[in-house]
Amino acid sequence: MHRGAKARNGHWNNSPRIFEMNEQRRTLNANLIKIGSIAAGLLLWHSLAVYAINDPSLLVSPIVVARAAYEMLFVTGELYPHLWASSWIFFYGFALSIVAGVPLGFLMALSSRLRDYVNPWMATLYTTPRIAFAPVLLLWFGIGGGSKVAIVFLGCVFPILINSYYGMRVVNREYVELARSFRLSSRALLVKILLPASVPFILAGIRLAIGRGLTGVAIAEWFGATEGLGYLVFFAGQTLNVPILFVGVAAFAVLGILGFELVRRFEIYLTPWRRQAQGG
Amino acid sequence: MATPVLELRNLAKEIPRPQREPFRIFQNVNCSLRDGEFVSVVGPSGCGKTTMLRVINGLLPRTGGEILIDGKPSESLDHELVMGFVFQSASLLPWRTSLKNILLGLEGRGPERKESEQIARKYLELVGLSGFENHYPHELSGGMQQRVNLARALAVNPRILLMDEPFAALDAQTRNFMQLELLRIWRETRKSVIFVTHMISEAILLSDRVLVFSHRPGTIRSEFPVPLERPRRMEMRSDRTFIELENVVWKQIEEEVNASGGFTQM
Repeated sequence: MHRGAKARNGHWNNSPRIFEMNEQRRTLNANLIKIGSIAAGLLLWHSLAVYAINDPSLLVSPIVVARAAYEMLFVTGELYPHLWASSWIFFYGFALSIVAGVPLGFLMALSSRLRDYVNPWMATLYTTPRIAFAPVLLLWFGIGGGSKVAIVFLGCVFPILINSYYGMRVVNREYVELARSFRLSSRALLVKILLPASVPFILAGIRLAIGRGLTGVAIAEWFGATEGLGYLVFFAGQTLNVPILFVGVAAFAVLGILGFELVRRFEIYLTPWRRQAQGG
Repeated sequence: MATPVLELRNLAKEIPRPQREPFRIFQNVNCSLRDGEFVSVVGPSGCGKTTMLRVINGLLPRTGGEILIDGKPSESLDHELVMGFVFQSASLLPWRTSLKNILLGLEGRGPERKESEQIARKYLELVGLSGFENHYPHELSGGMQQRVNLARALAVNPRILLMDEPFAALDAQTRNFMQLELLRIWRETRKSVIFVTHMISEAILLSDRVLVFSHRPGTIRSEFPVPLERPRRMEMRSDRTFIELENVVWKQIEEEVNASGGFTQM
């Protein structure tokens, strides 16, 4: 790959142009591999369903699932209410956990007293299975949106809180000395050093929270919901409607992928200095 | 005689230990720095040179003695940036471009944003990095990062520059170029410099005076004026005076290392 560059310049170099060419080629290769991997997976699924299992009450081909999805999206339109219901619950729970988790994590990093108060609760709540909380929250917040948002919140808030906390705790000691040598105020230290240094950690926490939040949505909608993707999956499972079951699962997957992609874009925008580390 | 820019009187630093006598890092450090003077500090590893630099800058509290700046106690000048610190690792903020890294010390101080930016550009040019204003640290080589590090310390226009082995992580060739660059920049800015290094030849090449630190608890064991003319050139490293001085200083460091239990004990 480097041979052309070496021949032209007579020595190794990493000038931006050549670097970009390699980068482009690498991105192209990576994308081909990704597409190939998905195609192979679908093919395997199809073969399993059609040739190995051959029982539509257990597994159906992705083609059948795609057809069902098409119908639910463009013919009957029955997927939309579920999609919206789940998206809103996810959004509220997720947004609330960022609003609450990031500042609380920072405060815990800055005050050891607060840390001592919060830590035992955090350890308990974080490790207790959320599904065990679901009936309690239902009791407290009722069968409406409140309890569902609470379940999602409970799933999302801890990775965000813990990462915000660590992000600020592990800030390079040299940066703090640097701030001291310039006699920066504590406010400037916070705004110019500690906050930007912890952004990558917070984003990593947010990425973890997406998966946990979607799990929360599924759990929340299994208990007394009348709409939502979780309800759809649960209902289809009960009625042995395998195509709809898979459409529901696929819709969750799509939401997850969308969430990841959004965070990735956001990360590139917020942390342009880490472009190389993030990869294509 | 004019008042020295910086004067250390019986400066000491110890770390308290429970149920034991305190751990003494350095003690009885007395020295003064004339305006525009370049002084290097060499000594065995772990003798407290770097800690002394941090104490002078107020990054660590001292436990004894006095630090005078233009004859006034350093505490009274704490809010002013009398000293610039050049860190061993460039410690540039990775989320800031070169220009914005240099601006760090200027922000929230006297000059307006526009004026600050002009100042930052001026120092970026001084260290030979015009055109790299918008590069992030990861896009710069180790030598370039150290140049930005130096420009950042200079931009707040301190009287004294404290340099903590700034070239230690660079390869030998880059290091030589940076030494010459530093001398040029020093000539142009006329700062007073305390330069901590492990490398005796570096100390001699750069300095007006070389201070030799003893083993821990460190103190200044001896000082040598460097009788070489300025501007200094790399060829001077083979001058007889240069080599003789290098040997004398080495002999002293060797003695200190042996006195502390030998190299294997360090």
